[in-house]
Amino acid sequence: MRRAFLARVADMIKNEPDTTFFTVDIGMWAIRDVLKDYPDRCTNVGIYEDAMFSIAAGMARRGLVPTIFGIQPYLVERTLEQIKMDLAYQKLGVNVIGTGAAVDYPKYGYSHYCAEDVHVIKAIPGCEFIAPGTAKQFIQLFNQTYRDGHPTFFRVSDHPNKEYDIDVEFGKAAVMQEGKQATVIAVSVMLDDVMQVCKGQDVTVLYYTTLEPFDTETLAKYYNNGKILIVEPEFEGSLTHDVIKAFDGKPVHIEEVAFPREIFRNYGSYDEKIAHYGLTKEDIAHKLVGLLTSN
Amino acid sequence: MQEISKKLRKEALFLSHKCKDGNLQSVFSCLDIVWTLYDKIMNWSPAKAQDDNRDFFIISKGQATLALYPVLIEKGYFQMDEIAPQIGQFNSRYCIQTDLTKFEGGVENNAGSLGHGLPFATGIANANKIKKSPSDVYVLCGDGEFCEGTMWEACIFAAAKKLDNLTVIVDDNNSVGAMVDMGDMRQKLEAFGFDVEVVNGHDMDALEQAFKKLKGLKNGKPKAVMAKTVRGYGSKTMMENDIWFHKSPNEEELELLSREVEQS
Repeated sequence: MRRAFLARVADMIKNEPDTTFFTVDIGMWAIRDVLKDYPDRCTNVGIYEDAMFSIAAGMARRGLVPTIFGIQPYLVERTLEQIKMDLAYQKLGVNVIGTGAAVDYPKYGYSHYCAEDVHVIKAIPGCEFIAPGTAKQFIQLFNQTYRDGHPTFFRVSDHPNKEYDIDVEFGKAAVMQEGKQATVIAVSVMLDDVMQVCKGQDVTVLYYTTLEPFDTETLAKYYNNGKILIVEPEFEGSLTHDVIKAFDGKPVHIEEVAFPREIFRNYGSYDEKIAHYGLTKEDIAHKLVGLLTSN
Repeated sequence: MQEISKKLRKEALFLSHKCKDGNLQSVFSCLDIVWTLYDKIMNWSPAKAQDDNRDFFIISKGQATLALYPVLIEKGYFQMDEIAPQIGQFNSRYCIQTDLTKFEGGVENNAGSLGHGLPFATGIANANKIKKSPSDVYVLCGDGEFCEGTMWEACIFAAAKKLDNLTVIVDDNNSVGAMVDMGDMRQKLEAFGFDVEVVNGHDMDALEQAFKKLKGLKNGKPKAVMAKTVRGYGSKTMMENDIWFHKSPNEEELELLSREVEQS
């Protein structure tokens, strides 16, 4: 996904003279040619995110289309006030592409983890949050939004879906299958595992790559006794408000397969973390059975 | 003090009185700077407020917003009759920290959070270079504001990108002296790659000369004017009492302070 994104950036810089790209000292090798050929619009700025957001906002104010690339926790947590005031309040379109979330740098420790990103960005009205499940979907969603005038945050994952690579539309959930006993919300890179568990079962599966704005309209069509399973590669609770709102006061029973809200003090591999925090296929199956058999 | 300096200060006092809020010491320390920019330096007029090649004035020290409104009133862009009853009111366009989202021109940034205006201005200046626009960018900062790390991040960028279309004005009213020892700010800015002029920030002729000298230097270096100013300049009461850092005048104080300004 990262490679596809950087190729798209190179193409953008070469062909669209009102676009700019700043990397906070990562990904340079993949775009070394454009860094060299377009130094005014494609820059490795150094290691600072806060002012970079304000600088990008100033450039958007002058009609340019800036895109920033960095590591997710530094992009969305260090810079919260810049996101709130310079981007969201001033209604300025800047694209922010983050790598590393939630635990794609599994050996680097808590500084590099970012299971909070969805929750943090959804707390700032006016921002968009996109979590593509595949490289193709990144390109589709980027192309649909990068000029839309809103601050748009992309979570680029190193663990994309391999089996399911459908076409996606910004702001819309995709209906993967329809059923009546429960509705499963599969977010981003969780889709493959969700489908392997749910295939052949009488449950609806909705696939979400846009997490803000959240498509409540599609979800509202699949109440299914109010039994909702959210499978999300971020902190638990990141989407519960949206789910409750979608059903407009009707009671819902929400179960989640997600990262628990706690400080991660471990290292190891990505798979070890997925297993430890309960985001495996078996966890999904277990939660779904519990939901289906509940009263 | 020149007549225009007195007039602008009395208008700022009146606006503060009307909205029952404001940071008048800070406003009085930078009014002469803001007026000099709009009157003598910037490519800006009410007719050009939305012109793509206009010069930009960014307020980084947002607490000085009540210095901008009187200047724009004197320039005929805003009307006192409209601002005075509305400033700070629930549905007003006129916040006491500039609000970009309420205007199509005249107000160029959203102020309030310190440490944001300089990098925002730097982004505008960089965009001007990319667009090959002749537009220059002037950004008014407080000396205390330079405690924010984002100010120095922006300085790194401005120098690296050779933004000689950016002028940083430090309203050096020694606010930072009450906080930390910042050392030699001129030396610091020069070390970051800026051309720096140090002037009396209440001497409009000196300010004009400094701005013009820097404007002539198209040498790939960002510019800075260290304007030596006095908090509350123009009112003895305000200069002597730091309570006026954040206080609005009541009817009686309005009369007293206006009289002091008139006599200064």
